[in-house]
Amino acid sequence: MGALLKEWVFTTDHKRVGILYLIGSIAAFLVAGLMAMLMRLEQSTVGLNIATSPDDYNVWLYFHGAAMILGFLIPGLTGFFANFLIPLQIGARDVAFPRLNSFSVWLFWAGIVVALLTFVIPDKPDVMWTGYPPYSVKTLGNTAFYVFTVHLIGFSSILASINFIVTIIYMRAPGMGWNQMNMFVWCTFGAFIIQLVFVPVLAAAVTMLLFDKYLGTNFFNPAQGGDVLLYQNLFWFYSHPAVYVIFLPAVGILFDVIAAMGKNRVFNYKAAVYGGVFGIVLITGEVWVHHLYVAGMPDWLRIGQMVTTLLISVPVGLLVISLWGSLYRAAITFNTAMMYAAACLFLLLVGGLTGIPLAMTVLTVNLSETAFVHAHFHFVMALFAAFAMFAGVYFWFPKMTGRLADGPLATITFWMNLIGVNITFWPLFIIGFRGMPRRYYDYAMFPEFQPYHQVATVGALITGTAMALMVINWIWAAAKGKKAENGNPWRAKSLEWTHADCPAGPGNFPGPDPKLDADWTPYNYAK
Amino acid sequence: MANHSASHAGGAHAHHWEISTYPAIVAVGVLFLVPMAFSAWFVYHSLLLTVLFAGIGTPLVLWGVSGWIGEGMSHKALLPGVAVAGLPVFIISEVFIFLSIFASYWMMRLMADVWPPEGTPAMPFGLPIFMTVVLVTSSVTIHIAEEKQEKGDLAGFRSMLMLTIALGLVFLACTIYEYSHLLGIGFVPGTNAFSTVFYSLTGFHASHVLVGAAVFVAVLIPAFSGKTNLTFTKCAGIYWHFVDLVWFFVVSQVYFW
Ligand SMILES: [Cu+2]
Repeated sequence: MGALLKEWVFTTDHKRVGILYLIGSIAAFLVAGLMAMLMRLEQSTVGLNIATSPDDYNVWLYFHGAAMILGFLIPGLTGFFANFLIPLQIGARDVAFPRLNSFSVWLFWAGIVVALLTFVIPDKPDVMWTGYPPYSVKTLGNTAFYVFTVHLIGFSSILASINFIVTIIYMRAPGMGWNQMNMFVWCTFGAFIIQLVFVPVLAAAVTMLLFDKYLGTNFFNPAQGGDVLLYQNLFWFYSHPAVYVIFLPAVGILFDVIAAMGKNRVFNYKAAVYGGVFGIVLITGEVWVHHLYVAGMPDWLRIGQMVTTLLISVPVGLLVISLWGSLYRAAITFNTAMMYAAACLFLLLVGGLTGIPLAMTVLTVNLSETAFVHAHFHFVMALFAAFAMFAGVYFWFPKMTGRLADGPLATITFWMNLIGVNITFWPLFIIGFRGMPRRYYDYAMFPEFQPYHQVATVGALITGTAMALMVINWIWAAAKGKKAENGNPWRAKSLEWTHADCPAGPGNFPGPDPKLDADWTPYNYAK
Repeated sequence: MANHSASHAGGAHAHHWEISTYPAIVAVGVLFLVPMAFSAWFVYHSLLLTVLFAGIGTPLVLWGVSGWIGEGMSHKALLPGVAVAGLPVFIISEVFIFLSIFASYWMMRLMADVWPPEGTPAMPFGLPIFMTVVLVTSSVTIHIAEEKQEKGDLAGFRSMLMLTIALGLVFLACTIYEYSHLLGIGFVPGTNAFSTVFYSLTGFHASHVLVGAAVFVAVLIPAFSGKTNLTFTKCAGIYWHFVDLVWFFVVSQVYFW
C-alpha cells in the first residue's frame, strides 16, 4: 500500500499524472457544483433563504466561478485529457519533460488546496472569479488567496503548455506527419499556444492586484495616476482566450469520439485544423474588449471589437461544420460517450447562437450583466465543455482502468443531466432578456421572476443529483465495472487503441515503438 | 508484453512506473513559502505563522530544487537535449509577463495629463549606462564559457562562468544601491504611478538576474568536481541572453524616455 501510494504521488508517468489531474478536477467540480446548488436554493424565493448574509452568497459565487474554471474545466481538459492522451495518440512513450509534468500537477493541487482553504480561513475571498478592482483592493476579504490560486494553477498550466508544445513538435512517432495527427492533438496544441501567451498576462494582472492591495502600489488607483480599467483589459485579454483554452480541447474530444463511434473520417480535416484551430489562435487575442462594452469606450473601438468578435465565429463555424459533417454517412453506435457527444452538438448550437446578440453592441448594452449572459456562457462553457469531458471520460475509461463505465446508471444519469441543465438555463434566458440582473443574491425588485427561479432550481437539483451519481458510477466502474475484452473495445483506429493495452501500462506500448505508414491516419475507417 | 528488446532507441523504455520525489516536494514547498507565508504576514499579520510557514517552505524548496537538478544532470532524457527546445518556449511566456507591465506603463503614461507625475526625482544617467555595459559583457562571457565547455576546457569554463556570476552580482549591487538611494529620498513604490511602474519593471527584471545568477551557481558547483551538462549550461545561457535583451527595453523605457 505504501509502495503503491509512493508510485502514484511521485509518478512522472503522463497517464498517472493525468489521472491525478482528473481526481483533483473532479474534487473541484463537486465542491463548486455544491456551491451552485446553494446559490440556486438561495434564489428559489425572494429574500434571504439559506444564506445568513449576502456575503455568504458572494463567497459561494467566488468559489463556484473560480473552481469551475480554474480548478475543473481548464485542468480537466488541458491537464487530464492532454496528459493522458497526447503521448498515446502521437506514439510517444512519455512527454518531453516528465518531472516538470509531475511538478505541474502538484502545483495545480496546491492551487486546489488554497482554493479549498476558502472555507476555513477568516475573511474569505469574495471577489468572484474576476477579481475586479476597486472592490477586490478595498474588500476585507482575503484577495491574496484568489491571487495565489490563479498563480499556482496558472504557473502549472504554463509549464504544461511548454511540455506539450515541445512534445507534440518533437516526439511524434516516425511517419506521423502533421496531417496525420488526431484532431484532439491539434485542438489541444492550439489551446496550449493560447495558454502559453495569455496566462502570463493574467498572472501579471493579479500580481498587480496583490501589490496594490498589500504593498500600496498604484496600478489601479486613479487617485495616484493608475487606471482602474487597466485590470479589466489585462484580465479579459487572458480570459476571453481562456474560453478557447476550454473550447478547443472539448471540440477535440468530440472529433475523436464521433469519428470512432461513427466509424467515419473527420469531415474537412484540413479546413478544421488550419482554418478552425489556427483561425481561433490568431483572432482570439483581438476580441477581449467586448467584455468592456459597458465600461465606457469610444464608438469606433466598440464597432471594431464587434467585427472581430463576429469574425471569430468563422473559425468556430468551420469546426462545427466539420463536427456535423463527420456524422454524415456515419455508422453510429450510441454508447454513453456518443450520447454525450451528440448532446454537445445541441448545447453548442444554443450557446453559440445566443452569443451572437451579445456580440452586437446595440443589443449587449441592454443584455450585459443580465441572466441572459449567465445562461449563454453556461451553455458554452459549463454545459458544452463539461459534457464533452464526460463524453471523453466514458470513451477513454477502458484505457484508464481496463473497464467500461457504460451501463444503466450511466444512461440514466446522462438523461437526467441533459434534461436538468435545460430546465435550469432556459428560464434564465427568458428572465435575463426581461431584465433579471446576474450575480445578485436577491431579486426583491422583480418578484414576478420567482416562478422562473424555482423552475431553474428544480433543474439544478436534478442535475446535481445526476452528477453525483455519475461520479459514483465512475468510481464503482473503475473497481468493479465490466472488463474491456481487449485493448480496443470501440474498434477505433488511432494509436492509443491499436498499440496500447487496456489499461495502458508503463512506457505505453508493449510492442516496439510505433512506426506509421504514409497513408496511415487515425480516422482511416474506409479501408 | 513480449518483444521489448525490439526497441532501445530512446534508452528509456520503461518496464516499471517511473517516479521522482523532487517535483512534488518543490510544489509543497512553494505552497507554504508563497501563498501561506505571504498571507500570514500581509493578510493576517501573524509573525509566528509567517515564520512557521516560511520555515517549512524554504527547506522543502531548496531540498527539492537541488535534488531535481542532481537528477536532471545525471538522468538521460527520453529525447536528449530537448530542454534547449523547451526553454525558448518558456521565454515566450516570460515575454508576455514583461509586455503586460510595459502595456500598463504605456496606458498610464499616455493617459496622464502631466508626466512624470508629482514626486518623481530626476533619474540617474550614468548608472543605467554602466549597468547596461555590465550586463552586455556578461552575455559575452557566458557565451565564451559555453564554447570552452564544448571544447572540453573545464578550467576555462569555470573561470568564465565565475566571471559571469560576478558581473551579475555587480548589476544587482547597482540595483540595490539605486533602490536604497531612491527609497531614502522618499520615492517608494506607492509614491505615484511612475514609482509603481519603476519598481515593478526594474524589480521584476532584477529578480530574473538573481535567478539567472543562482542557476549559474547551480551549474558551477558540480563543475568543480568535474560534472558538467552541456544542455543545462546552454539553457542557462539562453535565459541569460534573454534577461540581457529585456534590459534594453527596461532601460530605454524607464530611464531614457
Ligand atoms: Cu469574450
